[in-house]
Amino acid sequence: MTAESNQILGGDFKVDSLSIAFGGLKAVNQFSLHLKPMELQGLIGPNGAGKTTCFNLITGVYLPDSGSMVLNGKSLVGLNPHQIAEAGIARTFQNIRLFADLTVLENVMVSYHMRVEYGYWDVFLRTPKYYRIEKQFRESASELLKVMGLENRKEDKAKSLSYGDQRRLEIARALATQPKVLLLDEPAAGLNTQEKAALMGTIADIRNKFKTTILLIEHDMKLVMGICEKITVLDHGEIIAVGTPREIQDNPKVIEAYLGVG
Amino acid sequence: MKVFQSAILIAVVGILYSVNYLLEDMVNPYVIRVIVNCGIGMILAMSLNLVNGCAGQFSLGHAGFMAVGAYTSATLTTVLALSPFFKTDVGVGCAIVTGGVAAALAGYLVGLPSLRLKGDYLAIVTLGFGEIIRIIFLNIEDVGGARGLPGIPPRANFFWVYLWVVITFMALLRLLRSSYGRAILSVRENEIAAESMGVDISKYKIVAFVVSSFFAGIAGGLFAHFQSFIDPNSFVFNKSVEAVIMVVMGGMGSLSGAIFGGIIVTLLPELLRVFEQYRMVIFPLILIILMLVRPMGLFGHKEIWELFKKKASS
Repeated sequence: MTAESNQILGGDFKVDSLSIAFGGLKAVNQFSLHLKPMELQGLIGPNGAGKTTCFNLITGVYLPDSGSMVLNGKSLVGLNPHQIAEAGIARTFQNIRLFADLTVLENVMVSYHMRVEYGYWDVFLRTPKYYRIEKQFRESASELLKVMGLENRKEDKAKSLSYGDQRRLEIARALATQPKVLLLDEPAAGLNTQEKAALMGTIADIRNKFKTTILLIEHDMKLVMGICEKITVLDHGEIIAVGTPREIQDNPKVIEAYLGVG
Repeated sequence: MKVFQSAILIAVVGILYSVNYLLEDMVNPYVIRVIVNCGIGMILAMSLNLVNGCAGQFSLGHAGFMAVGAYTSATLTTVLALSPFFKTDVGVGCAIVTGGVAAALAGYLVGLPSLRLKGDYLAIVTLGFGEIIRIIFLNIEDVGGARGLPGIPPRANFFWVYLWVVITFMALLRLLRSSYGRAILSVRENEIAAESMGVDISKYKIVAFVVSSFFAGIAGGLFAHFQSFIDPNSFVFNKSVEAVIMVVMGGMGSLSGAIFGGIIVTLLPELLRVFEQYRMVIFPLILIILMLVRPMGLFGHKEIWELFKKKASS
């Protein structure tokens, strides 16, 4: 849990023709994606295009009807959400899902739980091992909060944070799982223009600092253009375009999806 | 650190033992009975608090696990009493712990299927299991059936009950202040977020349920060896509701709240005896008023010492 161990190389994550239907509605159809280590990719699309459903499929909240997901050679299809988190995929939520009544520090420390080395006896007897590991957890959580600019709010309840800080805490909590792939679901939603720009800067920093692969959902096309290497555009559950920001910008299909046919 | 801890432990045991000695000498048996029942109430409330307050899973069958603990330990010290050892303090202590383990096992078996459900459904299923456990004991003739099980050695006194109050409090407080405790709390706060952060939510619901059942079983064992008589009617649905009232009153998720809840719910009906037939009108009225004034319970999610800290700082 030292600063060193935070330096994980990003994951190589391949998603191949993932599909899911809810009743007759094909929410996501033949979704494919290849995230190379340390890559920052964007996933965009108009409202209801199926972006969040893609995240839910990847993180095991929904079981795909067909398709495959492979992280660093390991298949993830059919695993529980917590197993997928252990495998190295972490996410944030579009509609913030913090542990509202826990402190900011505790929110982050929950993510360390899958690496906890002490057992129940260490807890009940408060052995030196318990104290040592709890101290490590607290220290590395504080360090992480410092990166996200939340070190002054450590002991406050998560629900007392401002909206922007809550979004930052969500990212800090996801980073604490030491992910190989980080999925950010509209991290800038509800922020003003200045905050948005600052957050995009932070996200680019995170990629370099934590050596993680990032997939970013964003509603606002302009925002992702600046930082993503590659963008996938989704509409009505299907991929309509893949390419560099420049290619996407000029793609007539994308313009049509966003603006409608003229 | 270790020396300090041991010193405190010895001091606590010493204090409890001397208070026990003084009580038996100076106070009438009725008062002792009420005080001991408060202690049993505290253990019951603290244990249920882990499931209802901390893990956020509404269980309504706590009396069932208390019954398992009571009947298992009482069977060991009466029907099965293999040697005179089971009539001594230590023997009874072992029997009570065995009762706790049996209750934990029952908790595991009940929790495994029920904890897939949420909210109201879970409440109904646990209520059902609680009743099933009671009915099973009602139909086992070897433990007295409907007539009950008399002649249990009355070894649980103030000292033993309050020693278990201290043990329960320390164990649960330490559990909650650990990574396992945070995992349990995260399940209450947001299940989807918890599992996305790598917390196995089904596992920690079961852990909470099993630990909770263990201490409910201990409360049952102490109850049996204090009353020296138990029958299935001691563990009816009302007892489960009483435990829930203790937890809700003290504040869901607050350990010290559960202690206060345990005291109030046990003590109040006794204090209200002066009102005779109006007692059971006034008691619910007080509960209603409390819920109106403090819907979060006495302490909310907080512990009593955190409450004062907040006041001092603001």
